[in-house]
Amino acid sequence: MIEYDETEKRMVFKLVYYGPALSGKTTNLLRLHDILDTEGRGDLMVLDTKDDRTIFFDLLPFFLTTPSGWKLKIKVYTVPGQVKHDATRKAVLQRADGIAFIADSQLSEIRNNFQSFENLEKNLTFVGLDIATIPLVIQFNKRDLQKIIPEEDIERVWRPTGIPIFFASALKGWGVIETFQMLLDKTYDYIDKRYSLQDVHGLSKEEFIQRIVRKKAMDH
Amino acid sequence: MGNKQDIQYVVGKEKRLKDLISESELSPLLNSALKAGICNITLKDDTGNIIVEAKQEGFTSGLSCQYTLTVEGEPAGQLLITSDAEELKPLADLIYEALRSIINSNLKRVLTTEVHSSVVTQSYEELLETNRKLKESETRYRDLAENLDRKVQERTEELKKAYTRLIQQEKMASIGQLAAGLAHEINNPMGFIMSNLSTLQRYIERLREFINTQAEAIRKTSLTELISSIEEKRKVLKIDYLLQDSIELIRDSLEGSERVKKIVSDLKGFSHIDDAKISIIDINKEIDRTLNVLIHEIPDDAEIVKEYNDLPGFRCNPASICQAFLNIILNALQARQQGLKLKISTYYKDGMIHVIFSDNGPGIPEDIRERIFEPFFTTKEIGKGTGLGLTVVYDVITSYGGGIDIESKTGEGTTVKLTLPVKGDGDV
Repeated sequence: MIEYDETEKRMVFKLVYYGPALSGKTTNLLRLHDILDTEGRGDLMVLDTKDDRTIFFDLLPFFLTTPSGWKLKIKVYTVPGQVKHDATRKAVLQRADGIAFIADSQLSEIRNNFQSFENLEKNLTFVGLDIATIPLVIQFNKRDLQKIIPEEDIERVWRPTGIPIFFASALKGWGVIETFQMLLDKTYDYIDKRYSLQDVHGLSKEEFIQRIVRKKAMDH
Repeated sequence: MGNKQDIQYVVGKEKRLKDLISESELSPLLNSALKAGICNITLKDDTGNIIVEAKQEGFTSGLSCQYTLTVEGEPAGQLLITSDAEELKPLADLIYEALRSIINSNLKRVLTTEVHSSVVTQSYEELLETNRKLKESETRYRDLAENLDRKVQERTEELKKAYTRLIQQEKMASIGQLAAGLAHEINNPMGFIMSNLSTLQRYIERLREFINTQAEAIRKTSLTELISSIEEKRKVLKIDYLLQDSIELIRDSLEGSERVKKIVSDLKGFSHIDDAKISIIDINKEIDRTLNVLIHEIPDDAEIVKEYNDLPGFRCNPASICQAFLNIILNALQARQQGLKLKISTYYKDGMIHVIFSDNGPGIPEDIRERIFEPFFTTKEIGKGTGLGLTVVYDVITSYGGGIDIESKTGEGTTVKLTLPVKGDGDV
């Protein structure tokens, strides 16, 4: 959690899209920005990219007000995937409340996926977070491409971990919302345990997700 | 250097409108707006506090346009622009747009600057840490390089010693097995050979007696011809010599057999065929006892110096430990016939009994030093030594977990150092 302000009645949470370089973290956010209604969210802020590679981070904020009158802000960030930007990743990862790990489905990227996941584990420990308890979902992106890791292989490797797995093509726009929704689902439980969203603030999980994942009318 | 877990800045910290706008930055815009005919510009944050205000002198009232300013998409403040002419609305819109873009670009700048400085600080600390580690490992490697030669030598020496010990142990073990089998096999025939030889000795005595009696009886008769022919035959066949020599032959054979028996018994001791009773003994007393046994072997001019210290009780088979002392002392006695000086000292230190025998004999020639514990290796004449003396010593001492160390200088003497560990239940 980034901020908890009793006087201003405000809670600010952080979700982070993590993953290897070029796995489509920014594309995921772009798609959310495209698909979701402008009401209840801010604009996507893309901070200084170079040749379409993220150097700092991207930010997509969401807002809602609880029945108790508190303002809830969910800031969704991406980290730079390139190995050299590890310090930035650590900085962005601090006080995160949930993580979507965006893996690249291409066969050539298996190693990078594992390295990035290891890096995530290491950096979570560094910033004092526990990978076993922090909300985490994994998305295997770029399912529209050829030469990708078969679904059975992914299932076999990742299912036993109990981490929710999603298959997506951020470029084509599918699987993105499902990933985000599951991340919110798990994050709600995580936050609810600490800040009693349901009991104190009267905000149910369904409402929480519904208020954030509001699709634009024209898309349907 | 700060604690790494305690990075001050957190990406995502909320920004207020006043964090993103400074009066000095805005004043050129506001001034030109006033010049263009705007009467009043007021910027308030979301709690209603005025952040910036600019107005024409003498302004009282006019037409107002109100805009909401957002930060990260959230309402963060109000912009109020008042003018006295309606056609100034596009100008107000323009001011709003300008302000919005200033806020947005400032937000981006602030965010990137913050991440950047946080990253730089962090990277700097990481660099310091890396540098420290590098220095540490450099010291380690330098140390290693400097001592490498010596360490390799030490290690090689250790390995060599361990290897020699191992070979020695294996040799001892296999010889022990062989000896046990051999001793058993030799003992049986030796038993009846010796018994038969003794019987044969008695038989020959009786035969000689009978022959002599017979010759005497014949001589007393008048059968001169017969007598002379028997005497003749007796001389030709050297019967008298034969009888005499038979007895000597048997006596020698019995002596030889005795020696074989001794070797076999040594072998048995060496391979622990007969494990006798274990008791707690005083090593000093046992050395004295051994010296008493050897009293006739010790030349009159030999000088035996005893330097005994109080020792704790030692748990062992007394016969075997005495055998070991005996073999060492015998070696010293045999090494020098005249002017022998043998010093025996004992002391107890750190759980170990030390027994040191030091003689002024000729020393052990360097070329055979490595072989002295080898079974059947001897420098003595055949028949004088079995070649098992030090082998037995080695075996006895190591069987109690002890050690044996021999130092020898050619022409100066030999020192045998025994160490025997005292187990808890052996303490007095």
